Amino acid sequence: MAAAESDRTTVLRGHVAEAAAELRARGLGLELDQDPTAIDRWLDLRAVELMRSCTIPLEYVDEPIVAGPYTYDMTSCLEHVVTIEELSYGDTGFMLACPGPLMSGVTVGALGDTSQRKGYYERVAGREPTWTFFGLTEPRKGSAATELEATLVPEGDGYRLSGTKRYVGNAAFAQLGVVFCRRAPGPLGIEAVLLDTDEPGFNAEPIPTVGLRGARISHITLDDVRVEPEQILGFKTLKSTRRGLVGAIRTLQRFRPVLTGTALGLARAVLDHVQEQRPGITGTDRLRLEELRDRVAAVRQRNYQVASAIDAGRVRADHIAGVKTRAAELAEGCTLLAADLLGPGSLVTDPWLNKAYRDARAFEFMEGTGHIQRLAVFQGVYKGTFLKD
Amino acid sequence: MTTLKPPAPAAVTGLPEFAALLDGCHEEAAPGALVVSRGGHTVASALRLRTGVPVPGSSGTLAVASGGPPSAGRELVAFADRLVRLHRAAVHAVLDQAVTRLGERTSEGTSLLNRQLVQGSVADVALALSETQDLLALPSLTAAGLRRAHADLVRAGRTVLKLYGAHSLTSEGPGPVLYVAELLGNTYLHLGSEWGDTGDGSS
Ligand SMILES: Cc1cc2nc3c(=O)[nH]c(=O)nc-3n(C[C@H](O)[C@H](O)[C@H](O)COP(=O)(O)OP(=O)(O)OC[C@H]3O[C@@H](n4cnc5c(N)ncnc54)[C@H](O)[C@@H]3O)c2cc1C
Repeated sequence: MAAAESDRTTVLRGHVAEAAAELRARGLGLELDQDPTAIDRWLDLRAVELMRSCTIPLEYVDEPIVAGPYTYDMTSCLEHVVTIEELSYGDTGFMLACPGPLMSGVTVGALGDTSQRKGYYERVAGREPTWTFFGLTEPRKGSAATELEATLVPEGDGYRLSGTKRYVGNAAFAQLGVVFCRRAPGPLGIEAVLLDTDEPGFNAEPIPTVGLRGARISHITLDDVRVEPEQILGFKTLKSTRRGLVGAIRTLQRFRPVLTGTALGLARAVLDHVQEQRPGITGTDRLRLEELRDRVAAVRQRNYQVASAIDAGRVRADHIAGVKTRAAELAEGCTLLAADLLGPGSLVTDPWLNKAYRDARAFEFMEGTGHIQRLAVFQGVYKGTFLKD
Repeated sequence: MTTLKPPAPAAVTGLPEFAALLDGCHEEAAPGALVVSRGGHTVASALRLRTGVPVPGSSGTLAVASGGPPSAGRELVAFADRLVRLHRAAVHAVLDQAVTRLGERTSEGTSLLNRQLVQGSVADVALALSETQDLLALPSLTAAGLRRAHADLVRAGRTVLKLYGAHSLTSEGPGPVLYVAELLGNTYLHLGSEWGDTGDGSS
């Protein structure tokens, strides 16, 4: 039996679901698919408001999210997962195109000293919508992120940052973000630097994609960008071995259940779309639909357990990898099934389905590919932890 | 029915080339005309199908038109046969380029091609391509067989795209070609479509 959801979580889910319904009702996913900058026209929507404050600690937010008797900042992994899953049900691309902390906020929270956190949160929570980015992947180094090549070279009392980053969400539209770079050889020589995108030498261009265009993945060129020591996250408070790489790992571990929720939100939306289009579905087709409904529900339940464990301080890399990879595969599987069940030509006659079909392939790559997750699951099997609750 | 030579994988390099080869499939199946699916849809290059609307995600290279009377069964089967061969050539081309690309990318001092999980995926795609080739050589292959071959190629295509990482999602990567191949199958070779077996084979 699935564990009952707390009232606090149920209220949050209902609140976010209303904001997500607005995205679907207005067809905003398709609008952003055609023009990913269209987000600028919809900044007053509740979904955007949610994304702008999501994971910013309450003390920095003037008007926090209040629903029923509860106040939320989504710094809880479970509440973050529920929020993102429901918004993704509304539209994944729209959700990802929103201003707000997304992944970079988690890194700043994990590594930043008090003044770095204050500076970052105050800026992102400010009146002006602020887009952020999390720059880890490079053209030559994706899965092998610990071998990243962007360099941080001392110059006077500061540094110069050079290199390239690729597939970084929102970077071409952001005001600030985190860039991972190398100050010294080896994994422990990595630093996380907080960067303003109007610094001379910073350049980012959007990369056209076939799906999930709302993610607005971008190519970044860093050409001798000046970096002051206070821009290096944790520079004053953490030993160099506890900084850059640790922040990347903690961000990815904390964010994978959120990405799992993103994939499951899309999967659920696709299955509901099939049901709406074929209310009288029967026979084998119905069984195929029910099979995927069960699978989505099962991963969803497991994901809530994983997120709750993170909130309780138990970060299980193998379990996190397991839900992420299953959800990514399911999202793809649901769109393939939908294209089958909605009949010949459905991909040319049903624009909503066509977009979901193109979007669903992205989850495989975001925050680590299926192969990389499988290696983590294997480690869990080997250590005897994966199949234990 | 004569089977013309399937396209060489090396010819399927990008969307414009794929679109031209698709027009060739139409021409071979219905000389001088475009094949209309049972559902009344026609997908061809935007250059050939000037009255159509752009196919989303095809960067304007393909167009779709709806509402025409379906083509004759014989033309549909001939077209389906060519579509599957084009799809197969596309997956083959994407596999060949994946092997080259993975050989050039490194982690922990070795090429990604040395990773056994990667090798397994490469082998799975190659096995699917080989089986499809054998199926397509069967004189008894029915329309239903063609539809199954298409479904196999969709699965193999998804596997090989994963080997490109995020590059496969970009407009310049191999994703768009395999996406339009899938869309064409959904339009003309759909498992649930009513055109069934015409009994006139495919090869
Ligand atoms: C929509 C989207 C949004 C993204 N957003 C961001 C972002 O905001 N910030 C950011 O930094 N990055 C982002 N990424 C990039 C993402 O993190 C990378 O795509 C991912 O890490 C994989 O890297 P790669 O694409 O270079 O593939 P590669 O690492 O080159 O992988 C190629 C193939 O080799 C396999 N492989 C690689 N290493 C191994 C191994 N050791 N063992 C077995 N198989 C292996 C992979 O599984 C894959 O099949 C985003 C990607 C997408 C699609």
